[in-house]
Amino acid sequence: MKEQLEKMEQEALAELRTVATEGELQELRVKYLGKKGELTSLMKGLGSLSPEERPVMGEILNRVKNGLENEFEAALKHVKEFSKTAKLQNEKIDVTLPGRTVSTGTKHPVTLITEEICDIFAKLGFSVAEGPEIEEDYYNFEALNFPKDHPARDMQDTFFVQNNLLLRTHTSPVQVRTMLKTKPPVRIIAPGTVYRCDYDATHSPMFHQVEGLMVDKNITFGDLKGILTTFTNQMFGNDIGVRLRPSFFPFTEPSAEVDIACVICRGKGCKVCKHSGWLEILGAGMVDPEVFKHVHYDPEEISGFAFGMGIERIAMLKYGINDMRLLFENDIRFLKQF
Amino acid sequence: MKVSYNWLKEYVKFDLSPNALANLLTMLGLEVEGIEHIGEEFDTVVVAIVEERLQHPNADKLSLCKVNNGREILSIVCGAQNFKSGDKVALAQVGTVLPGDFKIKKSKIRGEESCGMLCSEKELGLTEESDGIIVLPDNSKIGTPLFESMGLKDTIFELGLTPNRADCLSVIGVAREIGAKLGLKLEYPTIVVKESDRDINQIASIKIEAPDLCPRYTARYVSGCKIGPSPQWLVNRLNAVGYRSINNVVDITNYVLMEYGHPLHAFDFRMLKGGQIIVKTAAQGEKFVTLDAEERELTTSDLTIRDSLDAVALAGVMGGENSEIKQDTTDILIESAYFNPSAIRKTSKRLGLHTESSHRFERGTDINILTTALDRAAFLVAELAGGEIAKGIIDNYPSPISDKKVDLRVDRVNSLLGTELKAEEIANILKNLGFSLKETEKDSFSVDIPSFRVDIEREVDLIEEVARLHGYNNIPATMPLARVISDITPPAQTLGQELKNHFVGIGFNEVINFSFGSCEEIKKLKLADNDKRVAAIALINPIVDEHSVMRTSLLPGLLQTVSKNVNMRSETLRLFEMRRVYHLNPGETAPSEPLYIAGVMTGTRFSESWNQSKELVDFFDIKGVVESVVNRFKLPSVSYSSENTDPFYHPGKSALLKSDDQIIGTFGEIHPDVQESFGLDKPVQYFELDFGAIMTINNNTAPIKAPSRYPDTFRDIAMLVKKGIAADKILSVINSARIPNLTKAYVFDLYEGDKIPEGEKSIAVRVRYGSSERTLTDEEVNKFHQKVINSLQAQLEMVIR
Repeated sequence: MKEQLEKMEQEALAELRTVATEGELQELRVKYLGKKGELTSLMKGLGSLSPEERPVMGEILNRVKNGLENEFEAALKHVKEFSKTAKLQNEKIDVTLPGRTVSTGTKHPVTLITEEICDIFAKLGFSVAEGPEIEEDYYNFEALNFPKDHPARDMQDTFFVQNNLLLRTHTSPVQVRTMLKTKPPVRIIAPGTVYRCDYDATHSPMFHQVEGLMVDKNITFGDLKGILTTFTNQMFGNDIGVRLRPSFFPFTEPSAEVDIACVICRGKGCKVCKHSGWLEILGAGMVDPEVFKHVHYDPEEISGFAFGMGIERIAMLKYGINDMRLLFENDIRFLKQF
Repeated sequence: MKVSYNWLKEYVKFDLSPNALANLLTMLGLEVEGIEHIGEEFDTVVVAIVEERLQHPNADKLSLCKVNNGREILSIVCGAQNFKSGDKVALAQVGTVLPGDFKIKKSKIRGEESCGMLCSEKELGLTEESDGIIVLPDNSKIGTPLFESMGLKDTIFELGLTPNRADCLSVIGVAREIGAKLGLKLEYPTIVVKESDRDINQIASIKIEAPDLCPRYTARYVSGCKIGPSPQWLVNRLNAVGYRSINNVVDITNYVLMEYGHPLHAFDFRMLKGGQIIVKTAAQGEKFVTLDAEERELTTSDLTIRDSLDAVALAGVMGGENSEIKQDTTDILIESAYFNPSAIRKTSKRLGLHTESSHRFERGTDINILTTALDRAAFLVAELAGGEIAKGIIDNYPSPISDKKVDLRVDRVNSLLGTELKAEEIANILKNLGFSLKETEKDSFSVDIPSFRVDIEREVDLIEEVARLHGYNNIPATMPLARVISDITPPAQTLGQELKNHFVGIGFNEVINFSFGSCEEIKKLKLADNDKRVAAIALINPIVDEHSVMRTSLLPGLLQTVSKNVNMRSETLRLFEMRRVYHLNPGETAPSEPLYIAGVMTGTRFSESWNQSKELVDFFDIKGVVESVVNRFKLPSVSYSSENTDPFYHPGKSALLKSDDQIIGTFGEIHPDVQESFGLDKPVQYFELDFGAIMTINNNTAPIKAPSRYPDTFRDIAMLVKKGIAADKILSVINSARIPNLTKAYVFDLYEGDKIPEGEKSIAVRVRYGSSERTLTDEEVNKFHQKVINSLQAQLEMVIR
């Protein structure tokens, strides 16, 4: 009987190793451990043993039974795990297919650059000011020291509208309007839309500027350099070269054009910078005393600087766009890239 | 303005390379916008000597030469006859590209090898015509580039001069700046005027009848000139700076114009009736033919130069055809005058006639240079065209312009610039520029302004001169010591940015269209005649018809943008624009510029993909967008109605949005007619919101409520109602039951069609009940819900399903 038992145990364990599904396992359990199973029938044979043999054999039987039951438990766990893995494997999908779209939009590059510029100046204590686009000659020209019939007016081809109004040619009238409303100190940044009668790859009849103005006691040309250098470093990187060179605007004296080292060739000379190594990005200067007179500030008491820059120009440099018209064609394939 | 490196060097002996000079000029404020190296492309055309000239064995008219370029002896076939063995010639070596993209290659001509070409002036683009090849002087050095040998090598700078620098519209003016910066003296041109005994006053007379427009007029008379071509040096020099050679006398006036910056004019004296010059304004409507053969109609504000009968020149702008220098002219009167800048500008602007002369006069010329320029011109005429200069100058100067004096304080210079310059440094800078100074008290100067500096009138103008010459780069950059200002960024600015962020977040792309529009596109919107959006503000000088008015609505621009994109096969679009529109309100002269946020959706609801529905967007997509704004910006007491929307919408699919009874905007599907008129074949959903209205109403301070700690219970009601009953109506009836524990009621299903009686719809509403104190029992909820059903049955014609 003992040999029979050991043989059966060996066979059961061997069969157990080949089991792959829960069903097969169940069949095997019935075969060995079921009511009519082999072990059960062996157990029934206990009665025919001698009283001496009975407890010894009984113990062996129990041990084998427990052993097999544990093996069956383990096998069940294993088979379940196996079939779960197989099921998950079956659910494998093509992860290269695109996901369900969550739409995201984009801001227009002009907006992005305007916000970037305004943020930089906001941190320097400038606050945003605005003014009308349909403007009076007085604010656009006269108060900014552009006399009537002066060639300086040729610098800005103007669109005129009814009632002696015009489309502002620059954001500088906001300077005048702000100073007329407030007493110094003044520190504003004025983004806005401006218009000039000109249309080609580098000129658009509508474009955008940001104007800055700082007026207080003892403001110097050196301060203008300091503020603008801070700005260009923030905007184009700390190592960007900056130079100011003399220029002319009726509403500033001394006036300057501000160049940065060419962002394309890093100053070596290329087509974009016309081989000069420099790119003009803004105009600036000390507020002309004539302008102060128009807003009833005393130029002997206070001084200030103003600057203005074209947003499109900066956007074009920053994003490497070579035709300004692209900015206003609003082709979605262009806009989606920002 | 173009200026030549070689020419500048005649007046100031600087020792700078062309590139270094360009940088110096730019940093002085005379921006070099372009540099052209003349002759650089012809560096392979060199001086060579003909060592042997033989007849070409196979061609009568060709010769076969041995030519030495200093390094080797080349065999060259040549067709010209005007040279002999031993002559020095211009050899274009293999590799040279001559004008007309003519590349010199090694070739065989009638069986004989030719390694280069002997050039004529015409072939090098030096003259229009030439007779044979160039034969150079014997002292020309073999092997040197031809242009260098002929003195033609030059660098031309294109200067972008600002309108204030009238004094730099000349070679001497630019040279003066270079000299001032480098501390070099200016060397003026030689003028030797040999006058005859004939007194000019016996020959000609000048009368100024408009002294305010012409404060000074001077003239010289030269008789017996021989009009002919100018010498090559003069032609070359004028060509280099962009002038075409006309004849010797005209070229001289242009040369002196470039040299001194003062425009001159030469009259054919025999055409001046009565030998008289009268300076006066034109008669209204007077016709006058200018040098360019155009007939111009003048007005009484145009200043003319006249003889005893007719106009002979449009003062300061252009001469007349009637008195121009001709081939047979012998006696000339040279004019050197000063004209009022704004008068010249008016005439030039009105006639659209911008000339080198008007360009200078309108910027202001040097009233004290008149006779110098006149003498220089007369001297050159006598030199180059022969002739005899009559004795004296007629100098009619009825209204003298007084010299300017400006006070300058050293501390003012330093306080404005942020520098620590000493009085002496400042004085030196100004002296170098031609100013003279007198120290009135310590660290204060009285400065005499030279007459050529028409731009200097005030102390600050002198400060700019000091800064310019000191060098902007030498002024230290500092940070201002400034007071803190209490102004903060205006709330509108913040709201605007947040609105943009919102639309970007929900998948909209921002566009910026031109603010311009046209009456035609406004007409497409079906607006009533009295709608203020019809009366657009017109541009007086538009560039194109499509941009002839200021837009009154963002819609046309957006529809055009949609159309352009659809044409490029981008058919699914969500675009928004937050910009101003321009209205002229009745009874107001100043236009208003309200800010609007508008947007369009068209194409499919989802981007085209394997797992997404291909349904087109509809009214409820755009409404969802509008609701997202309502929710995000917490607009209070919102209502939607289909009344009073705009005529450009589908009449059945558009709504008006109000908050607190204020109109916020409209939205809906664009009217099919409007859609089609913009060339679109799929429906477009549109919204426009008034930024100002959102700004005034924006209620970000709505109190935040703590949520209940007990779950809601809900009940559904499905009912059949007439189609015309609005969902809003049903919900308001439910709310009118006034059950405090009703937390929310909303439509969750809508069905029309099959199995639903004609003219009716099935609508299902979910009603949620809850309490902040406990979980409600079923009995309580049933009781509340029955009340709701009761009030629906009492107030609506409906059947519960």
